[in-house]
Amino acid sequence: MEGTAHDYQKSTVAVAKALGLQLPEIPGWTCCGSTSAHQTDPLLALALPAKNLIAAEGKTVAVGCAACYNRLKTANHEIASDPQTRKTVAGVVGKDYDGQTKILHLLEILARDIGTAKIAQAVKKPLKGLKLVTYYGCLLSRPPEVTKFDDPENPTLMDQVLEAAGATVLEWPHKTECCGAGYSITDVGIVKRLTREILAMAKAAGADCIATACPLCQLNLDLRQKDTEKASGEHFDLPVFYFTQLLGLAFGISRKDLGLRSLVVSPNRLLADRGISV
Amino acid sequence: MTMSLAAAEIAGDFASLVEAQSHANLMACLQCGKCTSGCPVAAGTDIKPHAMVRSVQFGQRDDVLRSRMIWECTSCQTCATRCPQKVSVAALNDGLRRMSVRAKSPTKSAVPVFNNIFMNAVRKRGRMNEAGLMASFKLRTMRLFADMGKLPMMLLKGKLPLWQASAPGRGEREAMFKRAASAKGDKS
Repeated sequence: MEGTAHDYQKSTVAVAKALGLQLPEIPGWTCCGSTSAHQTDPLLALALPAKNLIAAEGKTVAVGCAACYNRLKTANHEIASDPQTRKTVAGVVGKDYDGQTKILHLLEILARDIGTAKIAQAVKKPLKGLKLVTYYGCLLSRPPEVTKFDDPENPTLMDQVLEAAGATVLEWPHKTECCGAGYSITDVGIVKRLTREILAMAKAAGADCIATACPLCQLNLDLRQKDTEKASGEHFDLPVFYFTQLLGLAFGISRKDLGLRSLVVSPNRLLADRGISV
Repeated sequence: MTMSLAAAEIAGDFASLVEAQSHANLMACLQCGKCTSGCPVAAGTDIKPHAMVRSVQFGQRDDVLRSRMIWECTSCQTCATRCPQKVSVAALNDGLRRMSVRAKSPTKSAVPVFNNIFMNAVRKRGRMNEAGLMASFKLRTMRLFADMGKLPMMLLKGKLPLWQASAPGRGEREAMFKRAASAKGDKS
């Protein structure tokens, strides 16, 4: 979230500040291993998240990235449910970890802990007339017994948050259809095929834009939108926001503080048309 | 039923080995096809999810380890979420990926190279340096010009810092990686 997703980080920090939410970083945090770890080394795939969770020292961990969320939750699940796994992981990390540290995605914190009433109160410029679809991707809600995030087929946490911000959240069937994730770099044909489905369905549902909650989903739908258009011969022109950017706009936070210039498919015309601009 | 006994009876060593590696619960499969129906990459791949399970059950080692599917599966977990028997083809594919790399099975996929670069970066730097990651990947796969047109735009939009700080504690990480490598077998 310091590189290609730095606008997600910026907008998260801005929204947290507006809600009085403190988000100190875990000291000395390291990469959770993401997809590459679980594809190559099951032990490291648990040890890397565990190391970060140990450094949290029992405090609740807030996560923005969907892949990190999934890996941290998987580590908790595997370690807490099997004493032998706990022992083996402790041997690799060099410290014992019980798998009990609470892990919450930003959406869980916003929708459940802070609540939509408080969010609505903080709204200064409701996103009236903005029709959007919420795209959750794969890793927040699956596997459901691991993440316990929301319904795996039809999650609604992001819908609730953005409705509280005044947006018109449309129903659509592709909330959790895969975008192709990391294949954006290694096998981009897969990403083009999968994002084509998502973009086309969003348009068919009548959406002005898409709201996302995962850095790689946002990248695939936004940075690669032109590539997908070229491959399929269709025209989408759908801005793809992080949900924190949309929430931030509703809170009256400036475009600069929300990192809007990082968006590749420009949202400027859409925001101007809807009278949402700072 | 005891899982390993059934696997050994039907499929010999390979299925038991794969199950021990992946904990996919593969012998419980009913071949209902629900996994394949929900799989985002099934239509374009060589061995579909339910067929992958079947191939492993029947000991088709070379077919599965050399398949495109293990490197096209996105680990979206749709299969594992929907399976009525709690089989996880996603977990199965992870096990097969590791076995494929260990066996040096031929593949056209660039994913193993990417994983190698990524994990080296985690070991050395503890955090990603996306520009460095991409540069290494392009050099090792000779995909020198792919997406280069996007570079100016990404730099202007602040999406690609040319340098990102490492995490402290490299020595600790190196030791951790060494311990993981020497731990016998898989995670359990």
